[in-house]
Amino acid sequence: MTSTTFVPESGAAARTGGLPVPVATVAAGRRRRWPMIVAAVLGAALVTMPLAFGMFSKTPKGAVMLSEFHPFMTTARLDGFQTDIRQIDAAVKENKTSITQQFASAGVTRADLDTRFPSLASLDAQWPTINSDMTDLLNKVQGNLGNYQAIDALPSFRLFPWFFAVPGVLILGSAVVALRRLRLWRPGRWAIAIVGIGLVIAPAAFQMFQRAPDGGRMMSSFKTIETTGSVVKIQDYFATMASGQGDLRLGVVPALEEGGLSGSQVAERFPAVTTLDRNWVRILNDLTPMIGAMSDNVPNYRAIASLPPFPLFPWFFVMPGLLAIGASLLARDRTEQSYNQQQGES
Amino acid sequence: MRKRDTIVAVVVGLSVVVLAGCSSSSTATSTTATAAGRQALVGTFRLTAGTSTASGATGTYFRMIQPNGTLASGPYFDNPDSTATDKSYTLQVPGTAGGLVTDRFQPNPSPAFDASGNALAGAIVAPTPFSAIAFGISTDATDPQTGKSVPAPSISFENGKITGQLESWTASWNKLYFNQGSPKPDGTSPGLTSPVSGTYDSATHAFVITWASEIVGGPFNGFTGYWHLQGTFAPGN
Repeated sequence: MTSTTFVPESGAAARTGGLPVPVATVAAGRRRRWPMIVAAVLGAALVTMPLAFGMFSKTPKGAVMLSEFHPFMTTARLDGFQTDIRQIDAAVKENKTSITQQFASAGVTRADLDTRFPSLASLDAQWPTINSDMTDLLNKVQGNLGNYQAIDALPSFRLFPWFFAVPGVLILGSAVVALRRLRLWRPGRWAIAIVGIGLVIAPAAFQMFQRAPDGGRMMSSFKTIETTGSVVKIQDYFATMASGQGDLRLGVVPALEEGGLSGSQVAERFPAVTTLDRNWVRILNDLTPMIGAMSDNVPNYRAIASLPPFPLFPWFFVMPGLLAIGASLLARDRTEQSYNQQQGES
Repeated sequence: MRKRDTIVAVVVGLSVVVLAGCSSSSTATSTTATAAGRQALVGTFRLTAGTSTASGATGTYFRMIQPNGTLASGPYFDNPDSTATDKSYTLQVPGTAGGLVTDRFQPNPSPAFDASGNALAGAIVAPTPFSAIAFGISTDATDPQTGKSVPAPSISFENGKITGQLESWTASWNKLYFNQGSPKPDGTSPGLTSPVSGTYDSATHAFVITWASEIVGGPFNGFTGYWHLQGTFAPGN
């Protein structure tokens, strides 16, 4: 310490019989070093945390997942999926009832139809399970629309590791500089305090206290959806629906027409099957990319799910922030404190 | 005398050059020796349309095996639009180029799809209905699914056995792309992916080429396409 500044007669100076005492002498003896060491450790911890949790590799995957889900996470789109399933449901039921009766009136039994249209028979047999699972899946996704929108409104997941690393570097750097160069003690303290305040404010500014728990709820709900097993099951359902619909479109309807019904009569008597046939390509256009997004994001979901629970994230900012502020206050220069006190008393 | 010798020498020399050129040209347009005994087949693998048979299909066709299935016994994705008796076979007809061309690409057109998602790539095979939407085949320098650069198709044979690489083989359907090459664009052979193999009769130019390629990513992730190309090789591009 090479400062030549002299402090007024107080504290240490008073104990030397009124002789002015260089700040360096006072500071070296009267500054608490441990709060600054705590700040340095805190800074190092903040830098280390994203590395320890693998955030640099995992959070970009979360950003990809949110981005790839984005086109589907609207009320209109999700309602559309529910409509798609209801249309298939109506057509399957119509086939089992009125279409079967139509064939029966011509002497064709249900067993005959099942033999002639095996893919449709398979869809009929599996439909209660498919319908239940698909509806449950869509309900879960739709129920999490608000949660998705909350988490999507946060800053990009790609930035999250930097939200820890950058303040960590600033706190660590400030503390180390202050410990090594005592004339920079005060600016160092201020820097640590400002970064600490920033860490405390950030979660509130980004509404993380509301949004992070919403995100946590979405992650919990998707736990049973974003698995390889679930995706394979949906793919299997998709194959069954596509083949069954093909039998309806290319087998049953032509057979009805061969039985004497005109195209318009088929449309009038069997509106659900006609609607499904008319909308089938649109349904494929709709459902296929959703299944693709589900499938492609299984590893991304896993990466995000392996991070600490979302509701804890705001506290990962607030707690270090409070610690940084506390360390900064405790590292306050005692000489400065007593001087300020005396000034206050006089 | 000296003049006549000169003329003879020039004629002989030119003849040698011309003959060498013809020989070289002939080789380049049919088969090129690549290694000891192995010859590259550069030209068009003209495809024979697929037809339904009692045991399945012959000619050019495609099958899709569901995840966790096997090449031999499936389970297969039944294509309701297939014209085969067994709907697990999707029969294909040659496209505008007659079939697969080696040593160069047969890329997707632009746009690659119509508004309903029907593929418009029709050079190798004609767009083929698959569950109400037509799929097409192309070979693109940049694989449209992965974005990776891939080499042009190359096929060679030795002792009647075909080997090669078709990394760039891509199926397009419903505004989506599925790499169906072997090996895959990163050089791997995941799951049921099997090497390009087959037979080639150098006398008749008849060929059969088969391979399997697992779909990586997208809605059919884990499904495997099995490809069976059959026809006659026409040398030269």
